[in-house]
Amino acid sequence: MSDANSANQTSVLRRSVNSWTATATSAGLAFAAIDYLGVVSILAYAPGATAAFAVFIGGLIVVLVAGIFSELNGLYPTAAGIRLYLGRAVGSRTALSVTFTYMATVILVISADAFLIAAAIRHVLHEPAPLAYLWIVVLLGVALGANLKGVRLAGWLQTVVTYTVLLGTSVLSVVAIFHVGGAFKHPFNLFGKGAFSGVQAVAFALFLYAAFEWVTTTAEEVRTPRVITRALFIAPLLIWAVSTLFVLGLSHLVPYATLHHSAIPQLLVGKAALGTVGEIWMLTLTVLTALNTFNGGFLVASRFIYATAREGSLPRPFARLNLQAVPWLAVTSLAVTSAVVAAIVLATGQWLLLVSVGAAIEAGIYALGSLCILLLRKREQRERPFRLIAARPLATIGVVLFSVMFVATAFANPKNASHFSIAPFVVIAVLGALSTTYVLTTVPRLQREAAARASATRTKRRPTRVTTASDVESS
Amino acid sequence: MADWDEIAEALVDYTKNCNTNERLRKMQRDWSRVLHFACSDSDVTFTMNVDHGEIISTAMGHAGAPDIVVTTTSETFCDMFWGDLNPVQKYLRGEIKVKGSQEDVMRLDAISFVIWPDA
Repeated sequence: MSDANSANQTSVLRRSVNSWTATATSAGLAFAAIDYLGVVSILAYAPGATAAFAVFIGGLIVVLVAGIFSELNGLYPTAAGIRLYLGRAVGSRTALSVTFTYMATVILVISADAFLIAAAIRHVLHEPAPLAYLWIVVLLGVALGANLKGVRLAGWLQTVVTYTVLLGTSVLSVVAIFHVGGAFKHPFNLFGKGAFSGVQAVAFALFLYAAFEWVTTTAEEVRTPRVITRALFIAPLLIWAVSTLFVLGLSHLVPYATLHHSAIPQLLVGKAALGTVGEIWMLTLTVLTALNTFNGGFLVASRFIYATAREGSLPRPFARLNLQAVPWLAVTSLAVTSAVVAAIVLATGQWLLLVSVGAAIEAGIYALGSLCILLLRKREQRERPFRLIAARPLATIGVVLFSVMFVATAFANPKNASHFSIAPFVVIAVLGALSTTYVLTTVPRLQREAAARASATRTKRRPTRVTTASDVESS
Repeated sequence: MADWDEIAEALVDYTKNCNTNERLRKMQRDWSRVLHFACSDSDVTFTMNVDHGEIISTAMGHAGAPDIVVTTTSETFCDMFWGDLNPVQKYLRGEIKVKGSQEDVMRLDAISFVIWPDA
């Protein structure tokens, strides 16, 4: 056994993901176009520069999330990690159901980005509103075509795109902060909009960092789990710095009344800071964020669908591959679903609902991650490459804190901060109910059918080995 | 526990199935990789070289820098190369460990899926 392990350790991958790329992947997954709207949601509860304080507290909380996912990634360093640690902690059916709901956030983010970019392009080109539908179809069509052809962003290009978006947003934000004529009109008060508003502001601030933990799906591409751990701790720092600058720049130059009903806050601050150049600047960055979202989102979600169909938990056609070895039905379904969701958002104008739903699901996942740490500390005695210090008290705090964050966002109404709304919770409850029903009723049927088909059509191919006396002795 | 002879026998069959499958060859035409395999229950290791979708060699021991490293029990390797088990089910249970890019991991599974769709 030890020989095998040592042999395995000498097999160093020819190409592996380094810390820079892993950090860029983590930051790139988190910093999507929907984050610009996330900032508007924070401003709804913490106006002016107070929002930067909420982003800071959110960043502190994310350090705990980074610790939790570092330990879980160290225990299960695989793309299927979430299924494994949730499965060991709360059972395989619950794990599958939660993973389905989690994957729904990927569709939400893809839809949101398609919608936001379409809205931004339409705005800059001064086109009539219905043309935004066309842009959504064009954007998702291009993403679909590229995915079906097996076109991937090279690791280095993804890294360049991410750092360009982060740097470009920071530079424009600094220009906005020092722009003459702006002012921070609101007093510094985290609870100025009610006793719970501070919690809601922090919960939405947490959303700016959301999805940074998806870098754990590249756990098989790194030489050591430490690379992922490093990315999990560095990426939030980058997001914190950029988001803080953007929040300050936005609240300094653009009145909240203007942002209130806008789906293009980044263009508004661009225009206010540098005129048309700033607007084009921010449009370019918005389109660039889509490269990461469409590339990473389609890849993560379609491969999850493929693996789940191969496992027998989704209908078999979802595992069908085209000649580029791409699961074409999975990718096409993702694109069509995203287009439908984006069109619904455009028709209803409920883009901040996407932010609330995404923020609540992420908070729920962080609560579950904390619970997994608590349960797996008892059940898994294996050595971990990363151990969360004071794991029991911190994970307990995590369960409580992220549950509160879930409630804070699942019942939020950023369009009218002094009111609550059950709409985000209803969307999450429907998604959760659908996936739970599917896991409890359809999955067992699919698995029975697969077993029956296999026994009817296949015989064991491996020749039966004749056991000799020496075999018995050696065993 | 399977020994190298058993694994080698399975590999011969696997190689024949892969290299004679037209659809698979077309699908993997741009796929050239070095794969390392390690048995977790013995000291058996082996290397597979794939050139433009064709398995050109499988040999005992590790040679060259790998693009993918697969670790599992010798029995699982045998069943996998004979097409008697679904590798994804074992992978999702953490019984097969893989190092490599997500794309390569999926392509590796795609081989089994194309040649034994009912496994």
